[in-house]
Amino acid sequence: MENGSRFPPTRWSVVDAARSDDPAEQARALDTLFAAYWKPVYKYVRLRWNRPAEDAQDLTQGFFAELLERQLLTKFDPAKSRLRTYLRLCVDSFVMNQEKAAHRQKRGGAVTHLALDFPAAEGELAGATIDPAAIPSPESLEEFFEKEWIRSLFALAVEELRHLCQERDRDRTFRLFEEYALAGDPDISYEKLAHEYAIPVTDVTNALSWARREFRRIALERLREICATDDEFHREARAVFGSDAP
Amino acid sequence: MKFLSDKALERLREGADTPDLAGTRYRLLERIARGGMGVVYAAEDQTLARRVALKVLDVPIPGGVLAHRLNREARVLARLEHPGIVPVHDVGTLADGRVFYTMKFVEGQRLDQHIQTVPSLPDRLRLFLRICDAVAFAHDRGVLHRDLKPANVMVGAFGEVLVMDWGLAKILRDSVPAANPADPDATIFQSPNAQPAEPDATPATAVTGHGTILGTPGYMSPEQARGDIAQLDQRSDIFSLGALLCFLAAAPGQAVPPMRKDKSLDAICAKATAAAPTERYSSVGELSADVSRYLDGLPVSARRETIPEKVARFYRRHSVPILLIAAYLVMRVLLLIFSRR
Amino acid sequence: MNKVLLGLLLGAVLGAIDGASAWFTPAVRAQLAGIIIGSTVKGLIAGIAIGFFARKVHSLLLGIVFGLAVGFVLAFIVAQMQHGYYFEIILPGSIVGMIVGYATQRYGAPAAVAAPSRQS
Repeated sequence: MENGSRFPPTRWSVVDAARSDDPAEQARALDTLFAAYWKPVYKYVRLRWNRPAEDAQDLTQGFFAELLERQLLTKFDPAKSRLRTYLRLCVDSFVMNQEKAAHRQKRGGAVTHLALDFPAAEGELAGATIDPAAIPSPESLEEFFEKEWIRSLFALAVEELRHLCQERDRDRTFRLFEEYALAGDPDISYEKLAHEYAIPVTDVTNALSWARREFRRIALERLREICATDDEFHREARAVFGSDAP
Repeated sequence: MKFLSDKALERLREGADTPDLAGTRYRLLERIARGGMGVVYAAEDQTLARRVALKVLDVPIPGGVLAHRLNREARVLARLEHPGIVPVHDVGTLADGRVFYTMKFVEGQRLDQHIQTVPSLPDRLRLFLRICDAVAFAHDRGVLHRDLKPANVMVGAFGEVLVMDWGLAKILRDSVPAANPADPDATIFQSPNAQPAEPDATPATAVTGHGTILGTPGYMSPEQARGDIAQLDQRSDIFSLGALLCFLAAAPGQAVPPMRKDKSLDAICAKATAAAPTERYSSVGELSADVSRYLDGLPVSARRETIPEKVARFYRRHSVPILLIAAYLVMRVLLLIFSRR
Repeated sequence: MNKVLLGLLLGAVLGAIDGASAWFTPAVRAQLAGIIIGSTVKGLIAGIAIGFFARKVHSLLLGIVFGLAVGFVLAFIVAQMQHGYYFEIILPGSIVGMIVGYATQRYGAPAAVAAPSRQS
């Protein structure tokens, strides 16, 4: 289940769930966090710590295992930083400790049921704008991690939108959305799509409007789950959707 | 899961952020700026065939208490009909639930840009008095601005001065009946559990709701910087006005070095920006009256003059007749001396 | 008080004071009353002219210059009539004219503006 478990649309955050006494809640919290963060963490370890792919895979899975075992989320203080900044620093700390201990990480643990497409993540790294050979500044690392986190969040939202469209028999809507927003064709237009699908332009407009609205709703709901507080959620929403985005 | 390229990310973000104005009478033209609490776009009002500024409040999740309060805020602001306050034309809700409002599209310059073309200190102070007029009017209607700064004042093409961006405004007393009588809060951006902004928050990100620190560093009153929302009143805006006054007096002009303020103007700035609210002017009217007195060469309430300073001010105010009378007397004395020789 | 009246009164008063300062010149002390009356009338005439000018022209500099010119001309005429004491008459007369010029520009009610007719 690559997109992680979904929770009812009530106010809920991974931090709250991680602090709950219910082990099932805790596990679901970790699954949600894992779904959103495993790729950014993997890529970050590869680039920031310059680890080979196999080591980075072990470290990624080991980090999330440690997150659960040491209940790192319960130590998170929203007054001091954003959750993703905290997690990134935990990753740094974890990797440094592993270097000192110089032993291989456990594989899996509570998260083995999630299929991790490390080769795909490795392929995505090829397009990274950060130069692994250079010594990156803290700002560029933070930017890189933020960008990958947004990428992961959006990918999850797109996937959920796809499922939603399937459930509602709106496959064509999703194809239109995919072609317009995801394919990367700079010359794409509503008229072209209307011609391609032999439908009126107004249908294309309406379909894309609906799809964008749903995408935004889904992305924001996902974002809310992985933010600790309302304040953080508002700030992150501006970062994700506003001009602050990298 | 499909990989999203950077281009796709950008398109998704833009697509999700760009307001969908279908069902409204507006047509989106271009994005102008990000202000406090939202993004401002230029749009066309297709009914009246005029350009408007359309602000979409970026509160992410639509509906609920927050959207209701924002709506109410827009209605209150729409009643601030003053030539110095940018008028609100319309308020509505987008299809995705985000609240928007439209206001007059101001073509002009921000004050911090415009002031560089105003070398004369008296002219700058007269600009300041017009800003005070607008703020005093709002205070009289029970509305605080809370984010007064040069970037939030526009000078239009015809010299009109407009105070903008009331997105952080606080309503001290509500002249608009609440749709929900049970709504207890006087402010939109307040929560019982106010949390301080995180250390790495930029001024833009510090400007959020829900009890976090609101305003802009440098122009924010100390009580506002502390997040002490309960203590905010018109004196917080007076602090900001004082900081604005200092900026106007000190900002360099075109090929003009920063102006030397004299002690009276320094005293006005100091009083307006006093750390304790009790030591500031108690109203915008008092502040603007002092600035007017300064412009007229009269003594200001912020400072007690020494006798030499009073004499010097009297001389400056009446230098022409004093010199004429002195010339007459000197001439008389000289004539007397020469006639006796 | 309108500018003409202000000019008239101020011109008369300053003219009288200026005339009275002749007391410091022993040679003309005997004619002091006549000097004061003459100077007062001179000041009054100058003040009226300067006041009228101030109603029409709103410029401090021009008002002072006009006052100087009127004061000079009238003082010159008086000095010619006296066949002497040119400096003692013209210089103070000119400065008094400048003072009246300043005062009428700076103070005094401007000419009343005609009330606009009602819009139909």
